[in-house]
Amino acid sequence: MEQRAHFSKKLEDLKVMVLRMAAMSESAVHKSIKAYLEGDADLAEDVIVGDDVINDMEDDIDNFSLELLALDQPMAVDLRTIIGAQRITVNLERLGDEAVNLAHRAMFLSTRPPMPHNPKMESLAATATLMLSNSLKSYVDEDVPLAGDVCRMDDKADDLNIGILRQLVSEMVTETRIVERGVHAIIGARHLERIADLATNVAESVVFIVEGTSMKHSCKE
Amino acid sequence: MTHAIKAASKNLDFFYGDFQALEDISIEFERNRVTALIGPSGCGKSTYLRCINRMNDLIDGTRVQGDMFLDGEDIYAPGVDVVSLRRRIGMVFQKPNPFPKTIFENVAYGLRVNGIKDKQLIEQTVEESLKGAALWDEVKERMHTSALGLSGGQQQRLCIARALAIEPEVLLMDEPASALDPIATQKIEDLIHELKKEFTIIIVTHSMQQAARVSDRTAFFYMGKLIEVGDTKTLFTNPANKQTEDYITGRFG
Repeated sequence: MEQRAHFSKKLEDLKVMVLRMAAMSESAVHKSIKAYLEGDADLAEDVIVGDDVINDMEDDIDNFSLELLALDQPMAVDLRTIIGAQRITVNLERLGDEAVNLAHRAMFLSTRPPMPHNPKMESLAATATLMLSNSLKSYVDEDVPLAGDVCRMDDKADDLNIGILRQLVSEMVTETRIVERGVHAIIGARHLERIADLATNVAESVVFIVEGTSMKHSCKE
Repeated sequence: MTHAIKAASKNLDFFYGDFQALEDISIEFERNRVTALIGPSGCGKSTYLRCINRMNDLIDGTRVQGDMFLDGEDIYAPGVDVVSLRRRIGMVFQKPNPFPKTIFENVAYGLRVNGIKDKQLIEQTVEESLKGAALWDEVKERMHTSALGLSGGQQQRLCIARALAIEPEVLLMDEPASALDPIATQKIEDLIHELKKEFTIIIVTHSMQQAARVSDRTAFFYMGKLIEVGDTKTLFTNPANKQTEDYITGRFG
């Protein structure tokens, strides 16, 4: 029988807690994107109300991680598992915040006439969603190549965001009646791009947990 | 920053009769750094420590193959004066073992054995050694009382002072804090940080946390073999070898 079975069980419990929080954050992101693209104020309201649960989960994971560090004094991969879980948790909480921000844009835009159809915005939303989903999958499966893929997708999200900014600015120059909605749409795109950034951070933490190396700021190389 | 090599073994084997306790151990010990030897009971770490100052010579039926160097010279070469070697390599043991003499005489003992008679020099060295072992302030008022009246932690620091008095170059420590309470342990660990400015220290410890706290480099032994040696920070956060990882995460041992 493996020694420290009790501690191994606690590490598994920690991962389950992070995955539960991940499911909540990912769901909030999906709902906020749907609300934003479809102008669904009720769905946006759901996201805003639900954020407290995500914040509470972060507190629980923080406390549990601190307890594991203090009482079990982990080393090597065990230490990285706990530190990595804490880093992922911080990013999951911020993902929840970005979902709330996007939901606020959705609530505002739902009170205005719809913006013209924007394939770039949909593409950015799809990219951010895929990056988040794959980053969480890489955590579940400890899949370093998949985490690397997420990291390398971040450039695409950045490019789409800049493309949207340019397009909306140019539309606002010729059509002043959309300026107010256009500004909110630009902010919405920025939140989507941040969701992609946070998914990248999660993927970087997965590489740290599994391999003990940092690919922060270097995954594109 | 690179450190000069103070001591090293190369392809060292050690036998108790027919039993091979160490196999092909090559390690370099850097000057003014602390190297911790870790591993489960019976892995050979204490045997290896005792090879460094030829303490195993005192056990009948033992045999060494390979090389052990101090400042580049083979300490197992024919004609090496073992007594003078042990003067250069001091040792502190698991259980504090003060002589049943006064505090002063415990520290002065090594000097007297080495033929030093100058009373003033002896007094000065005793004081410096006790200061070096962070014990002076606690005992200066009772230097001529029995060392056996000291607490366990004080006795261990007295043994360190006794080792320091003959001005060794390398200090071997065999689980020096395993019989001490946490406060006394912390004092010994603080002392190790100070002592490495003057000495090269090699410490055997069963406490991985202690190895992580006090050492610059760590060597992991398992079943008589050296599995991994490297910077302590790397070894405890991202060891290269699976056996090392399994041991330090408590999955065996």
